[in-house]
Amino acid sequence: MEVSQSIILQSECKHCETPVKEDHSFCSECGFPLKGSDQDVAKFYAKRVMDKRKTNNAHEKIKAARKTLFIIAAIITVFGFFIYYKTQDLVPLTINLVVSVVYVVLGVWSKQRPLIALILGLLLYLTLIIITAIADPLTLVAGILWKILIIGYLAKGIYSASSINKVA
Amino acid sequence: MIILCKNCNYIFETEVKFCSQCGQAVVKNVSSTKLKKVATIIGFYVAMLVYMLLVYYVETTFPNNLEAEIIVVIGFACIVLGFASFDLKPVLQLYNNKAIKFKHIVFAVITPVVTSFVVYFFIGFINSLVAEGASVNYFQEYLYLDYPLFWATFFIALMPAVIEELAFRGVLFNALKEVTTTRLTIIATAFLFAVIHFSIFSFLWIFPFGLLLGFLRSRYNTLWLGMIIHFIHNFIILMIDYYNFYNY
Repeated sequence: MEVSQSIILQSECKHCETPVKEDHSFCSECGFPLKGSDQDVAKFYAKRVMDKRKTNNAHEKIKAARKTLFIIAAIITVFGFFIYYKTQDLVPLTINLVVSVVYVVLGVWSKQRPLIALILGLLLYLTLIIITAIADPLTLVAGILWKILIIGYLAKGIYSASSINKVA
Repeated sequence: MIILCKNCNYIFETEVKFCSQCGQAVVKNVSSTKLKKVATIIGFYVAMLVYMLLVYYVETTFPNNLEAEIIVVIGFACIVLGFASFDLKPVLQLYNNKAIKFKHIVFAVITPVVTSFVVYFFIGFINSLVAEGASVNYFQEYLYLDYPLFWATFFIALMPAVIEELAFRGVLFNALKEVTTTRLTIIATAFLFAVIHFSIFSFLWIFPFGLLLGFLRSRYNTLWLGMIIHFIHNFIILMIDYYNFYNY
């Protein structure tokens, strides 16, 4: 009588209610310690909270990186007009506007596909830095803090987007 | 399907998320391999980017120098082969020709004829709009050598077709495919392929060209079609420059 009762007790995971076999020490669906002490159960819940916080943190970093894409678009647009008023040349303005449109598209796209949109955003940004450095090597150090900040935010976003298990 | 718990080596016959014996998460830790692949993608692209900057300074310091040009090409090949060696087997498999049939070869020969002429007239159109967009005559660049046509074909048509295909449709494609879907991989490789050519105007035709090459790579799992198309495309552009040089 006692034995059959224990089977009934153990036949369902207390946490996620998935049916479990008697010889299992842990739930194969959620990892709940079926035969563990109260301490083990407390550990299990603590770990879940930590994991959740980690994921929330990752989403915040991705959000910050998304914003960075829009900020890049804005900066490039402003620079385009700045050059236009200085030189009255339409070509650099057009180029800057096209690039900032690309950034807006990447920014919007990063909502569905954060990882790939952020990678492309970062690599395009690095390319732009190199292209301007070829035209004028001094631009490499101009606004270097800004550049480091932008790269840092994008890199953090990419790191977070690749550490959450979701198809990019 | 048999799944093994890495922590206690217990074997499961059905898919489980956690080991029922030791409580470890059994689901393969996707994020750590993903992170490695992402690092490879970024590292590879940045290496190419920095190399382009270096090439620019080498070419301005040693203009019209065959040795410098050959060293530049070898350097680029080394970077690509170095990154390819991280995950060599899938790259080598791309050099098979099992899936290629006669009709594919015909397609690979006709397509670049169309694309090269479209691109040529497109560039002409851009140049008529924008004075600064003036393009170089690829043939003229190699006149300082004894056999300009041979060297121009080598540097403009053959080497880019072999190395760039391996770089973008080989190494970069394989790495991206592990972190995202095939469709996005084609788009992303085409995007980066176009961006690294450093020209906003050529982006407009290199991007669709990259999409085509990426599509062929994913559909037939071979680099040969891409290499043939890339080579013929560049070769025809070069031939047009050759013709223009002697006729105008």
